[in-house]
Amino acid sequence: MNAVNTWNSTQHFWLIILGFIVAFIPRFFPLMLFTKRAIPEWFNEWMKFVPVSLFTALVVKDIFIDSASYALLLNKYSEMLAAVVVIIVAYRTRSMAISVIVGLIGVFILSMFMA
Amino acid sequence: MNKRRPNPKQVPDPNEPLWRSTLRVAMPLNLSYIPIGLACGILLHAAGFNTLLTGLVSLLIFSGGAQFLIATMLTINSPLLSIVLMLFFLELRYALLSSSLSPYLKGSSNRFLFMFAVSLNDENYAINYLKFATDKKWTGREALMVEHYSLLFWAASNIVGSLIGSALKIDLSIVNFALTALFLYMIVMQIKNRLTIVICLISGVLAAVCMMLTKSTLGLVISTIIASLIGFGLEATLRKKLPDSHWLWRLRSPGSKKEAVEHSDAN
Repeated sequence: MNAVNTWNSTQHFWLIILGFIVAFIPRFFPLMLFTKRAIPEWFNEWMKFVPVSLFTALVVKDIFIDSASYALLLNKYSEMLAAVVVIIVAYRTRSMAISVIVGLIGVFILSMFMA
Repeated sequence: MNKRRPNPKQVPDPNEPLWRSTLRVAMPLNLSYIPIGLACGILLHAAGFNTLLTGLVSLLIFSGGAQFLIATMLTINSPLLSIVLMLFFLELRYALLSSSLSPYLKGSSNRFLFMFAVSLNDENYAINYLKFATDKKWTGREALMVEHYSLLFWAASNIVGSLIGSALKIDLSIVNFALTALFLYMIVMQIKNRLTIVICLISGVLAAVCMMLTKSTLGLVISTIIASLIGFGLEATLRKKLPDSHWLWRLRSPGSKKEAVEHSDAN
């Protein structure tokens, strides 16, 4: 996997600025709005489930979906196994750093055996 | 103590300066940003970002997920518009995080809220949310300091990662797994009862189906909205009809006593 990107630094700079804007809007406006008026209870109850749903969807995208064609991929065995290891480690240690490091080492070792 | 300090924090040593007590709260997070930030810096370097821009993107966007996404999409030569759209959908979740923090930041000035929003992130949100909920002395000021500490560590490790990337040759598909592991960790930390696990499974299947149908990451947004609504509906129904249902039992993990935040129990 080599860098094939042909953008120059000016283009990267504008990407960052646009990225900042789309990152800023959802962080700032709810904060501004809801510090001035109350959040409805049902909204909070619903929001509780959003992070877990989104993170699961992102993991599924990383492990089971091809990033170019969006077809289902079921052959990334080293990632799948490493994911199980990460879940167990995260559950037992509750440490973000340990989970990520174990995951990286795991996928490195597994991909040597499972190509 | 008649010296008027705005927020005397409840810590073992009452004379401990505020910058140190907040640093102590932020430190576990700061340390865990180092490996992820390094991985992110390496990937951004491979995507063509120079070190200066890597620092800038870490300061301005400050989101592991978004920065990994930028790196991945640049290496497959996606057009600018589709990267920005994808980022927007990915960052939409912060609307939920920031609305859930808003009850604790009532009465803050817009300038403060601006500063707070700019450096808000999944992980420092988790810390601050827990502190706000358990520590009555925790105010926006302390929370902002925690955010700034984590931002500092994040940006520094990204810059170092960028330098490492220019010095060494590294298999990028493996480094990319750092993000997957990070999300898996965050899922595990969110699981509070058996119902959450059901929602995970539903969300996973929905995500795959929606992405295959839409042929884009828009499927992520659609499946997230549907899955969270299902969770909301299921929980409300269970609470009403079967309040003792074992699906609502709290799960305790062996490590759950040692929270990500130290000294979180406000005596």
